[in-house]
Amino acid sequence: MEISEERGDGAMVMAPSGRLDSVTSNELEKHVVARIDAGDRRLVLDMAGVEYISSAGLRVLLMAAKRLKDPPAALVLCGLGPSVRTVLELAGFLPLFVIVPARKDALARLRGGA
Amino acid sequence: MDTRRLSVPATDDGIRAALDALEGLAAAHGLSKAVTWPVEVTLDEVLANVVRHGLAGRGDAARVEIELSLDPGVEPPLCEVLVVDDGPAFDPLAQSDADTTLPLEDRPIGGLGITLVRRLMDGAEYERREGRNHLKLRRRLVAIEA
Repeated sequence: MEISEERGDGAMVMAPSGRLDSVTSNELEKHVVARIDAGDRRLVLDMAGVEYISSAGLRVLLMAAKRLKDPPAALVLCGLGPSVRTVLELAGFLPLFVIVPARKDALARLRGGA
Repeated sequence: MDTRRLSVPATDDGIRAALDALEGLAAAHGLSKAVTWPVEVTLDEVLANVVRHGLAGRGDAARVEIELSLDPGVEPPLCEVLVVDDGPAFDPLAQSDADTTLPLEDRPIGGLGITLVRRLMDGAEYERREGRNHLKLRRRLVAIEA
């Protein structure tokens, strides 16, 4: 798995690619924790390059959401393909996250402070 | 029925090798990720449980036996996965479902794996036989409408 990071509009965009599974999710967790610990409060996770996500990946999303609960829109997910969306739905995660179609929508949402 | 048997170490590398083998088997029959991903997620969940719990601390010699079967001759194609390990008896299917309706603050971190497996597979059976856990999983390879 590779994770690209890009700062734009006061938000940090992280885009993991490949499988987000029990082997690779630790890597994403390290990146996300490092950003939150460094003071980033507006994170975008662009999932467009993710082949699929298993519960290990869900664990990272939940951890990030819990740590960024205040203010509530500080974490935005975008670029969900059918497999990622389905797993989030089966896990009951869709109501827990702000989910928008594309990266530009995520940045707009964070800019608006909504 | 195209069947591949493999024995992988109970490590991250072993999980990766098993997922690669499943991907290879599906690709050999022209099946895309769009229909195979639920089996890949399931195999990851099951192997992660075995590697990080059942066989944890057993060292490099601990192995997991895996049988991947694909019947491309039926419509939709049928995929079966058998995972065998000699860890302590553990029936993952006997675990209760995670509550997937809780609000964020009440959600425990973790514990969703088996719930996902149950929701993604068409069939799953567990058996303890000859001192080993046998978990058999089955899914028809059709796309899930998101």
